[in-house]
Amino acid sequence: MSASSKPYGLLAEFETPAALMDAAIRCRDAGFTKWDVHSPFPIHGMDDAMGLKKSPVGWFTFAGGVTGFTTGMTMIWFMNKADYPLVVGGKPLFTPLYAFPVSYELTILLGAFATLFGMLFLNRLPRLHHPLLKVERFKRATDDGFFISIESADPKFSAEATRQFLSVDCHANAVETVEE
Amino acid sequence: MKSLFQNFRVLVALLVVSGLLGWATGGLQAADAATTNAVASADGHAHGVDGHVHAGGEPDFLAQIGYSYLTAYMFCLSLCMGALFLVFLHHLFDASWSAPVRRVAEQMSAVLFPWMLVLLLPILALQSKIYPWLSIDPATDHSLDVKKILFNRIAFNVLVPALVLSWGLIAHTFRRWSIAQDKDGAAIWTKKSRVLAAVGIFYFAFSLTLGCFYLMKSLQHQFFSTMYGVYYFAGSVWTTLATVWVVVLYFKDRGPLSQVISKRQIQDLGVLFFAFTVFYAYIHFSQYFLIWNAAIPEETFWYVGREQGSWKWVGFTILFGHFFVPFLVLLNQDVKMNPAIMVPMAAWAWLMHYVDMTFNIMPVPHPHGLHVTFWDPLFWAGMVSVLGYFFLKNFRSAAPYPLRDPRLKEAVTHHEVPAPGATVHH
Repeated sequence: MSASSKPYGLLAEFETPAALMDAAIRCRDAGFTKWDVHSPFPIHGMDDAMGLKKSPVGWFTFAGGVTGFTTGMTMIWFMNKADYPLVVGGKPLFTPLYAFPVSYELTILLGAFATLFGMLFLNRLPRLHHPLLKVERFKRATDDGFFISIESADPKFSAEATRQFLSVDCHANAVETVEE
Repeated sequence: MKSLFQNFRVLVALLVVSGLLGWATGGLQAADAATTNAVASADGHAHGVDGHVHAGGEPDFLAQIGYSYLTAYMFCLSLCMGALFLVFLHHLFDASWSAPVRRVAEQMSAVLFPWMLVLLLPILALQSKIYPWLSIDPATDHSLDVKKILFNRIAFNVLVPALVLSWGLIAHTFRRWSIAQDKDGAAIWTKKSRVLAAVGIFYFAFSLTLGCFYLMKSLQHQFFSTMYGVYYFAGSVWTTLATVWVVVLYFKDRGPLSQVISKRQIQDLGVLFFAFTVFYAYIHFSQYFLIWNAAIPEETFWYVGREQGSWKWVGFTILFGHFFVPFLVLLNQDVKMNPAIMVPMAAWAWLMHYVDMTFNIMPVPHPHGLHVTFWDPLFWAGMVSVLGYFFLKNFRSAAPYPLRDPRLKEAVTHHEVPAPGATVHH
């Protein structure tokens, strides 16, 4: 790691979920955009505290569902009416009625896939490594540590002012620089 | 309690009188019906429509009134039973979010007694005009003969009022315990309600199915569908959730619930409404699909009759209006909290559920197509107004939410996060 490399950002540790929530509100109001909160368990109200908007993952689900439904209908129409007409049980060659259960299942299947993969895509996952994982104290994020990380890529980031902001305004227990 | 029993005595007397009235009119028509039966059974499949429909296919005056009234009654029963189910649901799941909205549901279901029982009287009085099977001799009709253990005049006149009465008593028990807790805050009321809910939900499911069989499905007594009860239930809860959504928001804006209702309750009610949109479609599709797939005449005639004339378009209205449109509109999360969409949606749900009830009942007197009479909106609006009045009266008689419910604090403690720009103080 060369000395000239730009740091990834800052990591601040907090004592309690309440302190973390309070700090998150301050970060939100300070106008940071590239930052995140890390805690061992979900904290109710944190979405609002961070000012998070609704996840766009629902649009992936919707697109997946629509694809699944049309695939099911088209597939059965093609197979049973267009490609190889076959009368089964005296029923019409094609009707949305019996194509519905299959289309419905495909709606759910592709909707679920789209949700999962849309979520991974939006989270830029999977990835093999993250700079935060180099920080020793960050291990406590899965046990009893409460953290806020602010990336240096944030337009409002400044190595000194942001460190000051986290330790003084946000009452962080400790603030450390995270190398890229 | 004393006045309740006094009401009760008057009610029993009224029930007996209307039952006898119905019986008497049935006797008068027996001769008329016997001839029609002969024709119907010669036809192979008696299609529900019988002696009370004139040669031209138009029902006589009293029969028309009876069917219009029954449609309105089934609609209103939906709201009561849906509300009762929400109370059940709250206790069954030991839910916390629904504690502040539970009183609304309790008061809504409490109109079951005595008002839904009182409103049942015209149906009992007109029973012979409404239910063709009551005038059919089981000896001449195989499909009635095999069902005569339930479909006989005595069972009908005893069980239907008994069912409505039992639902009313359950609703009143829940409400009484809930209000008792307002005073002493004792946990015993919650525990008792939980036991009643756990045991009662089985009774609720069976009795609602039986009630639907008697009041609606028996209009065409030849029909088979074990899903019929859950089909009515799904539509009922759907309509009720839309109603409760609007009522709760109204009381939140008007004051009584402003302290306890937050975004969470509104959203959860919206989510449940959406869920029941899907559930109703699932159930109705399943009923249709199984019958369509098996293609057994004893079952298909019910839907075949509902594809005659304009009934076909009523069916499509239900398919799109009861499911596809609400489904697509409600998909988005934010919509479920937006009154500008949800209030019209609730009005739409009322219309669709009424159309659904019409689709179930009206093909019997009007087999050739949808036929709206002056009586339909009259009874619908009238009954809703009367019950709405008593609901409001109930609602004012006690606290607007369970004041000392052990789960209330949990439900109303929402996480107040200051809006962006607000200063944080230490």
